[in-house]
Amino acid sequence: MDTLSYLAPLFHVDVLWTIAMGTLGGLVIGALPGLTATMGVALLIPLTFSMTPVMGLNMLIGIYIGGIYGGCVSSILLRTPGTPASAATVLDGYPLAQKGQAGKALGMATIASTIGGLIAAVVLATLAPQLASVALEFGAPEYFALALFGLTIIASLSGDILKGAISGLLGILISCVGADPISGVMRYTFGINGFASGFAFTPALIGLFALSEVFTQLERLTVKDDNIIAHVSGRWPTLQEMKESTSALIRGSIIGTFIGIVPGTGSGTASWISYNEARRTSKTPEKFGTGYIPGVAATESANNAVCAAALIPLLALGVPGDVVTAVLMGGLMIQGLAPGPMLFQTNPDVVVGIFGGTFIATIFMFIFGMALIPLFSKILKVPRRMLTISIVIFCFIGSFSINLNQVDLLTMVGFGVLGWGMQKYGFSQAALCIALILGPMMESNLRRGLLQTGDNVIEFVSGPITLLFIGLTILSLAWPFISQARLKSKRTANPTE
Amino acid sequence: MTTVSERKSDMWIGGGLLIFCAISAWLTLSIKQGMINSVAGPSMVPWIMIGGTAILALMMIFRAKAAEQGKEEKTISMPDVRTLVIMLAFVLLLIAYALAFYPIGYIPATLVTFFVGLWLLGERRWLVFVLFPAIMTCAVYFGFTELLSVWLP
Repeated sequence: MDTLSYLAPLFHVDVLWTIAMGTLGGLVIGALPGLTATMGVALLIPLTFSMTPVMGLNMLIGIYIGGIYGGCVSSILLRTPGTPASAATVLDGYPLAQKGQAGKALGMATIASTIGGLIAAVVLATLAPQLASVALEFGAPEYFALALFGLTIIASLSGDILKGAISGLLGILISCVGADPISGVMRYTFGINGFASGFAFTPALIGLFALSEVFTQLERLTVKDDNIIAHVSGRWPTLQEMKESTSALIRGSIIGTFIGIVPGTGSGTASWISYNEARRTSKTPEKFGTGYIPGVAATESANNAVCAAALIPLLALGVPGDVVTAVLMGGLMIQGLAPGPMLFQTNPDVVVGIFGGTFIATIFMFIFGMALIPLFSKILKVPRRMLTISIVIFCFIGSFSINLNQVDLLTMVGFGVLGWGMQKYGFSQAALCIALILGPMMESNLRRGLLQTGDNVIEFVSGPITLLFIGLTILSLAWPFISQARLKSKRTANPTE
Repeated sequence: MTTVSERKSDMWIGGGLLIFCAISAWLTLSIKQGMINSVAGPSMVPWIMIGGTAILALMMIFRAKAAEQGKEEKTISMPDVRTLVIMLAFVLLLIAYALAFYPIGYIPATLVTFFVGLWLLGERRWLVFVLFPAIMTCAVYFGFTELLSVWLP
């Protein structure tokens, strides 16, 4: 009965309208090369201030789901992935478009994304409450171990582990700016009042992910998109093609859901693994890469399954599953909500609202995706100069509207330049962002634990849960080295592979 | 587009990070310990992070040094001088916009930023110059203040 009453607000016209607009906006953002779902969510968080938590958060989830799906549009029509999540879709999507079957490729991408999204949403609604009830037993040492494990996401988010780790440490150091959460002592504020509560989180995110992208776009403005497939007709795959794609669809959805739950992996990894698995288990692996519909089904079902699944660690443990959910965490915090197991106790309406909103956003994604297929090539022709300068204005209004002060605007510009520089030199903006979020959680739990136990470090490694998380942390840190060594020995054994 | 050696840039960045760590350490010395009689004081985490960053920065420098004898040099593509100048001008424009946003007000500050920004981005069609900033500035103002109840100066 309670669950039904919590779901009722979702069906108000204004809530449905907001989710629909979020999904549509995300779809357009994701479709444009260079604009990512992360950027979309960061840029549009400020729009949620005046909304109820359920309305605002579901709009952001709509942007996330629409954004990840939208990435397939430019992968298929332009051979340029709209988002990193849809990079693998290029392999079969673009050849299909070249054969005059762009509509069919987009249709299959839409169906696959919907199935993947819905399967993961079911897992989200069933698994998250169970995980949260376990996490309710956690004390300071367990939360410290959990935050530490969450921070190891950094290793997997970064191509260069060393630079990723530096980005993470700098993120934690930046999160120390402002009043110390335990003693209230000021740290690194230089006497500026605006820094007393640290760098405002949303302007920092907008700078890192949206403004930095503007600088990257500035470099690319001379590049012309001459290879757009302009003619798109048809949208429904045949029954035979659907039959051929069924196993790729189901497998992709399961792979995406599983990968989404594990913090730090993300949609890009899921779609590549799903594509490789589909090819490996196919009776006709030689068809993959030549414009084969199951190839599109495999990648798109996996990357959209990640969206709902990545919400599981965020809602149940307070640890973001990937970069977009890290930014979404900012949206939750702006609404005055602390993600984690207590959210299920204090705001069950919001949690159930998010579960329901994920389903609704996925259905809107299907409707908009199918309806807009003939118009997608026009979306890709949006004039870049006007788009770039408009994003700048949105970055400013978004950053200003939080605290109505100038310091936030300068913070946003500063983080924008920092983000561009980090991207250019191979450092990880995602690692910095996650460290900014998890840093305070790690610090306060570590110090609180030490104060409670009289500086007894043994307490942090004596419980079964802390030991589990520390074990996972070590495994997570060692994994890139282990897989690298395995790849090396494989290559030595078989140099032709 | 020009390119720079990743190895050399890593050495420079590593050096820069060490200087940053030294400055941060100096600033951390002045953090008061408060009333806490424990290792878990307000400067504990900053010290761990500074130490960690310094060690990793050294590792980055040594890695770049070791790669000197390496086979092929990795490069990073950088914008050419003209694009760099435009980007620098764009950053200055954004700082000016940030400083002018509140005291001058949203509409005049945004109109000027639109004009200058479009010009820096290479837009030369006069109709776009006139119509786009005016329409966009007003539409955004209306959308935020009337529909989303966000106050703009």
